[in-house]
Amino acid sequence: MKKILYTIAVCAIALGGSSCKKLDNYEEPQETLTGSVIDAGTGKTLQTENGGGGTRIKLLEISWSDNPTPFYIASMQDGTFNYTKLFAGKNKISAEGAFVPLVQTDGSGATTVDKSQTVDIKGTTTVNFSVDPLLRVEWVGEPVLNADGTVSASFKITRGTSDPAFQNDITDVHLFLNSNKFVGNNNYDNRYSPQTDFSGSSANAQLGQTITLTTKGGPLPTKRDYFVRIGARTNYGLKYYNYTDVKTISVP
Amino acid sequence: MKKNIYIIICFLVCWTTACKKLDVPPINIIQDKDVFTSTGGIQAYMARIYSELPIEDFRYSPQRGLNFFWIISPFPAVTGEALSRDQNGAMQENVGESPWGDCYKLIRDANYFIENMPKYASTYTPAQVNSWLGEARFIRALTYFALVKRYGGVPIVDKVLEYPTANIDDLNIARASEEAVYDFVAADLDFAYANLSESNQAGRANRYAAAAFKSRAMLYAGSIAKYNTTTLSDGAGNRVCGIPSSKAVTYFKAAYDAALLVAPKYSLYKKVWAAGDKEAQFQNYVNMFYDESSNENIFVKQYHYPESVHGYDAYNVPRQLMGGNGYSSAVNPTLNYVELFDGLPKNADGTLRTTTSGKYDLYTNTMDLFANAEPRLRATVILPGDQFKGQSIEIRRGIYTGSSAGGISPILAPGSTSNYPTANIVQSSNANQTPYKLPDGTTMNPAGLSGVFTGDGTCAISGFSIRKYLVPDKPTSEVLENRSDQTWIEMRYAEVLLNRAEAAYELNALGQNDKDYLQDAFLDINQIRERAGATLLAGPGDLSNVNVVRKERRKELGFENKIWWDMRRWRTADTEQNSTIYRVLMPFYSANDKKYFFDARTDERNVRYTFDVRWYYEEIPNGEIQKSQKLIQNPGY
Repeated sequence: MKKILYTIAVCAIALGGSSCKKLDNYEEPQETLTGSVIDAGTGKTLQTENGGGGTRIKLLEISWSDNPTPFYIASMQDGTFNYTKLFAGKNKISAEGAFVPLVQTDGSGATTVDKSQTVDIKGTTTVNFSVDPLLRVEWVGEPVLNADGTVSASFKITRGTSDPAFQNDITDVHLFLNSNKFVGNNNYDNRYSPQTDFSGSSANAQLGQTITLTTKGGPLPTKRDYFVRIGARTNYGLKYYNYTDVKTISVP
Repeated sequence: MKKNIYIIICFLVCWTTACKKLDVPPINIIQDKDVFTSTGGIQAYMARIYSELPIEDFRYSPQRGLNFFWIISPFPAVTGEALSRDQNGAMQENVGESPWGDCYKLIRDANYFIENMPKYASTYTPAQVNSWLGEARFIRALTYFALVKRYGGVPIVDKVLEYPTANIDDLNIARASEEAVYDFVAADLDFAYANLSESNQAGRANRYAAAAFKSRAMLYAGSIAKYNTTTLSDGAGNRVCGIPSSKAVTYFKAAYDAALLVAPKYSLYKKVWAAGDKEAQFQNYVNMFYDESSNENIFVKQYHYPESVHGYDAYNVPRQLMGGNGYSSAVNPTLNYVELFDGLPKNADGTLRTTTSGKYDLYTNTMDLFANAEPRLRATVILPGDQFKGQSIEIRRGIYTGSSAGGISPILAPGSTSNYPTANIVQSSNANQTPYKLPDGTTMNPAGLSGVFTGDGTCAISGFSIRKYLVPDKPTSEVLENRSDQTWIEMRYAEVLLNRAEAAYELNALGQNDKDYLQDAFLDINQIRERAGATLLAGPGDLSNVNVVRKERRKELGFENKIWWDMRRWRTADTEQNSTIYRVLMPFYSANDKKYFFDARTDERNVRYTFDVRWYYEEIPNGEIQKSQKLIQNPGY
């Protein structure tokens, strides 16, 4: 009698236990979206900053809704992006950043320009955007270490677009300096990084001219590497910065 | 037999009581008819919805939201009016404490009142009913204004939404355009002005309050039409961020006209003011904030210990008058703010002059520098050495022990952000000071009783302390958290005058000449300046640019939690705060001269303020966006 009871009990526990296992029947997201935001004028990727103030990719998944909540992917600071945990689906993809907007609307909200791309994301999908930056910031030579321990960098700024609607006044130019390679308006050493503010259209005469900025706050601490880049922005929209690429300078 | 009779009686008694129907309204739940049929019930309903009005008062900080007692990251330390040890840079309101949800609850309460009150109208006179309906519309307008100044266009709900409902899509309301929300606010306030009574209980709105708030709201709308550059439209063509610039004139005119309506009833507080008497003007300005009968107070929020309290005194009192909770000096006005005022020695670039030909100016007392200061400055800010609660508030950064032969050269190079050197300077890291022996044999603490300490932020870190709204006769034993109950003045006549002056200036700048607007702006500004004891403008020509009007606003309304909204609507916050360090004034005592000198420098903590352009439209909480497919996020988030 006892034996039968035990057998029943063991069976019940075994069955009960095995039934606890649940099978989640939907695969985890594993599609990859990769690509770059490229300056149409130079063919190079468009430099930006990490985080909220930089380029981001906007995905609208239209496979199930006409009015989806957007999903954003932040770009890396060199202008490329890579996201490996997306669901397969049909997406309308555009980018936002320091360039002429890919999607523009007029005063009544009607879309006038739409350069977003509709893509089926499956496996590894590559999407590139060709954009006109608001400003093109380029190095002139290499940054140099001065005798007094400061660093000077020369650069020039030109317009990246010929559309006068996006040629707003330049508001400020920064030399960003940091002790790690992630450097930009959101991440810099404010003791040494100089900044020039312009009011009104006063900066427009400097377009195309070589400008030199020198670090402030006295000599830089020695025996280390610094990462520098130039950022400039115009009075358009959310006032994103355009950047040069990051250069390294060693202070012996 | 008797027993049987008793049984029958009992039985009958039980039987008859059972006849009573059980379907009765529960007596422990208050019904509409209980509330709406008596003036007391309506007063109770009003008391609650007034208490939930989203106004930034003594219980507000951008970090912790509305109606929260702890305000150690105070609002003025976000705008550059002040520095605070707990505020390390610019910020937008903490999206986790967003008032979005609470505002819609309040809107529902107002809508419920508007829909249900008229059912009981026969109990009252029509005038009473209209006044109450006006009050509900006033509350709804203020709540929508609180939303639109933060987020731009928001969904307009003008009726009580039923849930559960037949059609769930009816609850899914898209954002209206920013312009439509401002128009909705204006329409509600117009209704309120037309229907509200001439006067009302303190803390409740009368018709002039409605006009005053309309002047504020319309001024915001006009500024956005004129200065905004952000655009966001939804698929249906509603511009949820931004107002067409062609509307600027309409809104500025509405602001101007609304301000005119207030003028007959209210005036600037001048009870003990006397022409040419700086002390009387100072006292008058101080008294204004505590006089319950002030003819300047248009709309106030009252507090009363112990039921409804705040802790303004405890957090902001100077260090030497610290109360039992150990808080003090949360708000320390910056030198940038102090320099806005008249009556100070100035350099050519408008900064405070502390040196003459490269050597520090010496003063016997720290107050000597401020001998001719505008009375309003003294009434707003506690200057080093000024009197408060019968004490001289001692603020000193340290004792300078270097040689004084030929004058003292500036300790640091101009513009330097370094810390002070320790050579030749005796300083103190906290309030437990070791007295320093001066050359004449007497001893002196290195730092003042209220700071500045190098290692302890509970002191006047900017060299100044706040006076505005600190109760001048509150005993230190009562300077405790949740022990203050002074009244918050949300709307006073000075703001209406400033709204009028700004709207008039902008109308003139936009080419409107149906009236001499510049002359009007000039007279308004001079009224404010006269009461403040400041230098008067000579004529309308002195209004050479809009900054004259804006500066006056900053001086008059400083530390009243208004300036941040102004910087946002002027769209100047991002240029003003672009890696900006605010400036401080450090008094030193020179041991050899036995005199004081002042060093004007950047904040020694090297705190930088950068305003992100996205913040002109705040982030809508993600939880709200997930609730509604039609709610679109503001740009950049």
